[in-house]
Amino acid sequence: MFQQIHDYNVHVDRNDVFWMIPVRHDAVEVDFDGQRARLRVRGMDAFDDHDLANSLSQGLGLPANPTATPPTPAIPGMFPVRAKVSFDVEWNGALATAEIENSAQHFKGTFLSTATTIVWSAEQPGFQFQSDNPPDPEANLISVLGREKNGVFFS
Amino acid sequence: MNDQNYSLWEKFQEKWMSRRNLLRGAAGTVLGAGLARPKLVYARDEDDDSENGCVSPNPIPGGVAGLKPFGIFIHHNPLNPAKALADINDPSQITDFDGFVGLTHIRGGGTGKDLATGATTPLAFQADMGFSQGKFIGTDGRQHRGTLAFV
Repeated sequence: MFQQIHDYNVHVDRNDVFWMIPVRHDAVEVDFDGQRARLRVRGMDAFDDHDLANSLSQGLGLPANPTATPPTPAIPGMFPVRAKVSFDVEWNGALATAEIENSAQHFKGTFLSTATTIVWSAEQPGFQFQSDNPPDPEANLISVLGREKNGVFFS
Repeated sequence: MNDQNYSLWEKFQEKWMSRRNLLRGAAGTVLGAGLARPKLVYARDEDDDSENGCVSPNPIPGGVAGLKPFGIFIHHNPLNPAKALADINDPSQITDFDGFVGLTHIRGGGTGKDLATGATTPLAFQADMGFSQGKFIGTDGRQHRGTLAFV
């Protein structure tokens, strides 16, 4: 039995871009032919929305849904807490490769399924978290590294 | 903190998507408040590429209706471990994009610390992280080059 007690993200921007934030160019290193990439950021301003429901509902919570199977309880609204997060994510080594051209979604490219590790930490008033370091290489559920074109660059 | 049960959280995780988040086996207190839509914010590591500036990219047109049936649509395609690589949806969160994209759905463990008491607690987490690096057409209709983290 687990209960969520923190949810860190940078919120949806005013243009509805989902949880993306500009970072320095050198925060990302990509060696696509070497099947590797790394994302490293320290001290990023983020929000702790406490839980996914409040993150997606922008702090409004959710009403109970008695018709769901099983019925789900109401989730009270929560005000976000400012936090600092740091993370080091490494994509390393292709487990599978695919060339994709998806005309329905207008994207194409070369995609690798990779092994991935993450080390991250968070700090906010009264609380801090540090993930295990070294990270567990078996913790990866699924990771993708791609060289892609979409939208107007698709055609 | 809230007292939602695991089945609900598990439903969120399995059906929609997840974020870097912490889980533990204990109930907490509840606070309630509304939240207005935030504006675009920048990390300390703001891109120093002059072409990028503060212009926002546009979201992919697709995505998923997270938290059905409440109608909260998100412009993101969560990775699904059960789906073959060749069948994935667009892993990018931004459209009109040409570049490198990374996305991960990962779990792990760590230690939480109460800074008031010094007490530590083992915690589990699940994270969805990624990046986009390359050129994109911004909201101003012009081409830019930038690096964005998915957090």
